[in-house]
Amino acid sequence: MQGLLTLASGIDRISRFFGIIAAVLVAVACSISAGNALSRYALDLSSNAFLEIQWQMFAATFLLGAPYVLKLNEHVRVDLVYGSLGPRGKLKVDIIGYLVFFFPVCFIMLEMAFPWAWASMRAGEISANAGGLPVWPAKLLLPFGFVLLTLQGLAEFIRRVAALRGDIALDVHYEKPVQ
Amino acid sequence: MLDYGLLAPTMFGGLILFLLFGFPVAFSLAALGLAFGFVAIEVGYFGLAFLQALPARVFGIMSNDLLLAIPFFTFMGVVLEKSGLAEDLMEGFGQLFGSVPGGLAYAVIYVGAILGAITGTVAASVIAIGMISIPIMLKYGYDMRIGTGVIAASGTITQVIPPSLVLIVLAFQLGVPVGDMYWGAIGPSIAQILLFTAFIMVVSILSPRKVPALPPEARTLRGAALAKKLAWGMVPSLVLIFLVLGTIFMGLATPTEAGAMGSVGSVLLALSHGRFSWRMVWDASDQTMRITAMVIFILVGATVFSLVFQGVNGGKWIEHMLSHIPGGRIGFLIFVNVFIFFIAFFLDFFEIVFIVVPLLIPTALALDIDLVWLGVLLCVNMQTAFMHPPFGFALFYLRGIAPPEVKSRDIYLGSIPWIGLQLILVALIIIFPEIVDGFISEDVVLDDAAVSQQLDALPLPGLEPPALDLDLSPSPAPAGD
Amino acid sequence: AQTAPKVSWRLTSGFPKALDTIYGAAEDFAKYVGEMTDGNFQIQPFPAGEIVPMPEAADSVGAGTVEMTHTASYYYWGKDPTYALGTAVPFGLNVRGLNAWNYDGGGIDMMNAFYAKQNLIGFPGGNTGCQMGGWWRKEINSLADLQGVKMRIGGMGGKVMEALGVVPQQIPGGEIYPSLERGTIDAAEWVGPYDDEKLGLNKVAPYYYYPGFWEGGAMLHFMINLGKWNELPASYQAIVKAGCAYANATMLAKYDYRNPAALRSLIAGGAQLKPYPEDVMTKALEEANKLYASLSEQNADFKTIWESQTAYRNEANLWNQVAEYTFDTFMIRNRPRG
Ligand code: NA
Ligand code: NA
Repeated sequence: MQGLLTLASGIDRISRFFGIIAAVLVAVACSISAGNALSRYALDLSSNAFLEIQWQMFAATFLLGAPYVLKLNEHVRVDLVYGSLGPRGKLKVDIIGYLVFFFPVCFIMLEMAFPWAWASMRAGEISANAGGLPVWPAKLLLPFGFVLLTLQGLAEFIRRVAALRGDIALDVHYEKPVQ
Repeated sequence: MLDYGLLAPTMFGGLILFLLFGFPVAFSLAALGLAFGFVAIEVGYFGLAFLQALPARVFGIMSNDLLLAIPFFTFMGVVLEKSGLAEDLMEGFGQLFGSVPGGLAYAVIYVGAILGAITGTVAASVIAIGMISIPIMLKYGYDMRIGTGVIAASGTITQVIPPSLVLIVLAFQLGVPVGDMYWGAIGPSIAQILLFTAFIMVVSILSPRKVPALPPEARTLRGAALAKKLAWGMVPSLVLIFLVLGTIFMGLATPTEAGAMGSVGSVLLALSHGRFSWRMVWDASDQTMRITAMVIFILVGATVFSLVFQGVNGGKWIEHMLSHIPGGRIGFLIFVNVFIFFIAFFLDFFEIVFIVVPLLIPTALALDIDLVWLGVLLCVNMQTAFMHPPFGFALFYLRGIAPPEVKSRDIYLGSIPWIGLQLILVALIIIFPEIVDGFISEDVVLDDAAVSQQLDALPLPGLEPPALDLDLSPSPAPAGD
Repeated sequence: AQTAPKVSWRLTSGFPKALDTIYGAAEDFAKYVGEMTDGNFQIQPFPAGEIVPMPEAADSVGAGTVEMTHTASYYYWGKDPTYALGTAVPFGLNVRGLNAWNYDGGGIDMMNAFYAKQNLIGFPGGNTGCQMGGWWRKEINSLADLQGVKMRIGGMGGKVMEALGVVPQQIPGGEIYPSLERGTIDAAEWVGPYDDEKLGLNKVAPYYYYPGFWEGGAMLHFMINLGKWNELPASYQAIVKAGCAYANATMLAKYDYRNPAALRSLIAGGAQLKPYPEDVMTKALEEANKLYASLSEQNADFKTIWESQTAYRNEANLWNQVAEYTFDTFMIRNRPRG
């Protein structure tokens, strides 16, 4: 178990790393969007590249950020029933949820997304808009993000099993983002 | 397998079970879709290859530039909150309405209306309002049922106040000009703000303790001092309103870019108030990323669900139900509104607009119902789609940003009276169609003679063709198909 | 083998239901194929996005996610520029020319040699006719007026306009109206009078320019997964071809019949018709030719098909000049006399 828990905290660090990148992209996308609007207005200077980089960064924000959000237990739940369960009940819901809901979803998404993104990369797919950006890197983000998400799910699963066995104490209190 | 079977209706039943289980909404929605997907493959609706549509659909979300409004407006909200500027703003309103119970709730409604005039995205609106007002409501002892209700409801005003994504999509589906939809929505949005205000007023009279006035010790300012405090509190918000509304109006920014203007503007404001720190910018980015990922993953889960729903011919099932509309104008309107109210428990507005609305057009035209009016009416009705407890998306967003001391129960129960208010508004629009029509100006329309005059005056292109220059090289040989 | 097997397919349209003439072509096609097979071959059309979003339709059919699509192949030119030649490129063939080149000039086979590499087979499936040149907030009197103008125009048309000094800005579809209203962008192009009228852009950008030289005749295609096509009995294959040809003819007919009335109604609502100045068109043609030269250098498929189209284009224009053009201009000149 100890080895698995070490693995889990290693995965945490990977997710945090990409979470930081995802967060930085928020500020960068805001600046580019405002800057593009200003330059287009004042200097008649712009390009579709500046528009497209915004959605590509937005895509990176939620795909690279989601694993870290999973680690923080901040993906929202309908907690009518869940909220009234005790700590062990919550652990059991999560363990079943990861096995029956989470991993199958990630597996199917990866199974479908890899060939899809691969084909785009091989074709060197670019934007259909004048002055636009390559599209294939954005498509590669999808399977990449889901690999990270699956890893973080594995870490969460390991920790919950360990907590249920009493190996570790885990705070499963369903917390909201710190205000 | 082109008929709908039992699977489509069963998916809705399954939705309740899966979501109530308590695993995160995003993955529960996706898992439900997949579970039914595998049943559908067994039954023969489609093959495994059909699920290859999943990455394509998620990519549709990734590349939907309108969703950029979510991180932009969230970032603005977080910066305002972290820098204390939001508190100044809400305190300003609080001082203004200080002696009046419900003052903060009124402020939320009007801030919601202003934000609504900027963004067309409910998620952006609910999150931005929630970020700045929940802390102060908790501080002054608001009943959080009223508090979260007014925030969620005010966040959905954005759907009706132009510019609005829903109005644009509806106009396109109905085949009416967006401009007419915009004008038609003005009356209902004013009516809505009045209704919301009236509701808070009633609450403040019947149970003032739920929406307390600021305590006397917080209301230290009067007269000129109050005016000064208020003015200072209002300056940042006025600057922000200019940055977001003004830049749209000047033609500097698209509505989405206006969100980015607001974000950058909020940082500059913090700088000018001496409250800037890199730490604050980092915190705002980090929190915006977390909220954005949480919100967008719900959409990702929902897209798995709706792919399979389409695959088991859910659209046909809805078509079947709508083929039994009772006769007459009133019968049609009541049936359609009740139907959409209930279908909105399960489908979000996009699905409703794309699946349901095209099915209504022939009947509406046959009954001589004005499509702009119908569109605005449906838009108001569909606002409730965001508010249905416990599955309304606005409630998910609110739950995602509210601190733990706000109970989920309060969020669910708090939304109910506002759904009632929405239904009152729907009834008002049906009874008094002028609410919509009154604002649509009659277009200046040229008569046929004037039109013909312009057409007859068109230049005739190339009257003198270039001299024939016969190239005698052989033409390509015809090749059959 | 069974000659009339039960087959049911899904068709993902590249278009929403609101574009009723284009979406209607897919519905007509599905209906006729059903009737011609006594209901044994059923095709269910879905509007864009209900199964896959429009930009992914061709790939999804190639991968077998859905059996077929009705789409404009130029949407996919970012994957390979050859796709653009199936629909329209600036100063390409007009409707008549495209039909002639496809049905009698070997075009269908040439396109299918390319589509086969994407695991697709395609047939012409409708045409909008020559499109309009978009809605402008200000008049364009010469090439100089285009400098720094912000226009929403996608595809190769956008590339040519960019070379003329225009700033192409592909803002989200939902934001065209407010952005054009406030002048965030100066111009936006869509289809032609019948579809444009629904957007109501005449109220915010009154100058309605013509012609849409980047789409002198935009041809739609039905594209089918190659494996699924090969599984069909020969009779069904023939029926599909006939259904496509039927949709190809009727979609154009709808546009040709409905556009004149819509044009009148747009003018009544304030639209002012303006032709693009000669120097804009000439320079655009020059820039388009440069683009085709460079694409032909990079892409062998593009080169082969483009050369075939241009070789015929000059012949078609010559033949058109002799009889049709003379007849048409005579009739146009005499139109006011009824
Ligand atoms: Na709005
Ligand atoms: Na066009």
